[in-house]
Amino acid sequence: MATASGIHVVVATDGSKQSLAAAKHLLTFADPTRISDVSVVGVVSPYASVAFADDISQGSSDRTFREAAEDAVATVAAVFDGWGPTVHRRIRSGSPANEIVKAAGALGAGLVVVASGSRGLSATVLLGSTAQRVQHSAPCPVLVVRPTRKPKKA
Amino acid sequence: MSDPKPSSAAVADDGGLKRSITGRLLFFYVLGDVLGSGIYVLIGSVAGEVGGAFWAAFAVGVTVAAFTGLAYAELATKYPQAAGASLYVNKAFGNRGLTFLTTVLYLSATFAAAGSLAAGFAQYFGQIWDLPPALLVMVLFVGLLAFVNYIGITESVVVNMAMTIVEVVGLGIVLVVGVIYVSRGDADFSVLLNFSSGDNIVFAIIAGVALAFFAMTGFENAANVAEETIDPSRNFPRALVGGMAAAGVIYVLVSMAAALVVPVDTLANSDAALLEVIRAGILPVPVAAMVLVFAVIAMIAISNTTLVQVVTQSRILYGMARQDVVPAAFAKVHPVRRSPVTAIAFSAVVVVLLLVVGDLLNRIGLEIDIVERLAAVTVVLLLVVYAGVIIACFKLRNQDAREDTFRAPTALLAVGLLGNVVLLYYVISTDPGSLLWCAGLVAVGLLLFVAEVTFGKRDRPPGVERGTPVEGRKH
Repeated sequence: MATASGIHVVVATDGSKQSLAAAKHLLTFADPTRISDVSVVGVVSPYASVAFADDISQGSSDRTFREAAEDAVATVAAVFDGWGPTVHRRIRSGSPANEIVKAAGALGAGLVVVASGSRGLSATVLLGSTAQRVQHSAPCPVLVVRPTRKPKKA
Repeated sequence: MSDPKPSSAAVADDGGLKRSITGRLLFFYVLGDVLGSGIYVLIGSVAGEVGGAFWAAFAVGVTVAAFTGLAYAELATKYPQAAGASLYVNKAFGNRGLTFLTTVLYLSATFAAAGSLAAGFAQYFGQIWDLPPALLVMVLFVGLLAFVNYIGITESVVVNMAMTIVEVVGLGIVLVVGVIYVSRGDADFSVLLNFSSGDNIVFAIIAGVALAFFAMTGFENAANVAEETIDPSRNFPRALVGGMAAAGVIYVLVSMAAALVVPVDTLANSDAALLEVIRAGILPVPVAAMVLVFAVIAMIAISNTTLVQVVTQSRILYGMARQDVVPAAFAKVHPVRRSPVTAIAFSAVVVVLLLVVGDLLNRIGLEIDIVERLAAVTVVLLLVVYAGVIIACFKLRNQDAREDTFRAPTALLAVGLLGNVVLLYYVISTDPGSLLWCAGLVAVGLLLFVAEVTFGKRDRPPGVERGTPVEGRKH
């Protein structure tokens, strides 16, 4: 299944629909024979008001934040089923941008895929988003998948 | 493809389940949260109630709180999840009404605490710049913290630790002043045994404890990070009780220093009592500069604790919405920021309303000290929650224990429970007015529940019971 020569891709998810879209976007153009491993990484932030919010999978209403993260990571990992590369699921704990960068370093990643949900003022004004911070300090190339503008309804 | 999970490697490979909160981080989290909550704000009021011996009130308050902390430590090691008191009560009694009540009382306590702290912040702010009206400062402060919570920079453990160190430094300055004063031979130690109401020492102490107790609150928020604590059975009890004990020792020493350096009347009548210690001019530094530095430190300390309260409020509302007991809007997170926008905004509005009501009451001539008033309300609400947690701890004694589960000494829990009940009785009997505020806050929770029952059907398919997870509801 996995080829030793391929790169290791880290796909980050924060439980948002946009992060699921980013994972799917990778599938649309990347060559699975050049990728040995895909690690889907979710980060739980213990000090934040919602340590992890999962909008992409179903789950019981009383699951823990960590369980929510595991569910979201599993949902994103399922995108790569049968694609070729070995898929890993990882949960980390701490500040999201920091942990994604650390995961990329620890795994020797050749590419990090993140979603940037922001489109407009908030990204510019509010100290930058996770995606911006990952771009700034990742040890490898970063694919930032930005939302496509929804076509206006009539 | 039909079952996605087995096809990808287990989450646990090469340490994929890493948790991030070490014992030391948790210790600083508890210490910072506790230290900011009361001593900067309430020390003058406690001194006024007790007299020169007000350190004793802090000592007793710390002890009762620490015994309650033991119950939290035991339960958090058994159930290392972020929900805290409501989870424990739910595990113990399985009664949805009781669980709901516990959650609402806890939520109300965080509202009142944030209000009291915001008012305390405004008092220190007023010491360096008294032009803007206090109410405006409070409202801006609450708004700013809500904004910080919204953009999600609360996640920084480094910032949390730095703020805690600043808080300790601030109290360290007070201690240094005390030590210099004593070493000069100026100190009159008899003041430390001085009670304002000479005849009834116990009564005087209890009066102080009721307020001093506010200074210990905040430790219960440690449950927020229980889920992410490394080796919780070992680290959680140590860090929680250790943090509380450290705070307790600092409080007692700071109270003694303050009592020795500044006349108790001055402390009692000051808006920012610890500043009076600095104003005594004992340090070989210009007083004006020192006052400015200290006021800033005090404001940082108060902000740190208020921020934890604000985070907790929105987290509780988020959890309640996921359980379908408040409208689903509270469970909505911002697509980019991943923070519960409605919950954050709503909490800020409630806290601001508390402050506005306090201000209005003052304007119509009912002289109330909003810091003290909301602190008392917080204490009443939390005492009920704490007592419930200790009872839950007893009830769950022989359940769910693993080999490494921390077990709190039964006798200490019993003393803690008794302490909570006695204090509760005292606060309510001397200050029945605080019950009105409590009722008002609890009513907010009930209103949200009624709103969910009345309008919440739309997000649930017909025939599905409240609280049952709905398949694919998020899609």
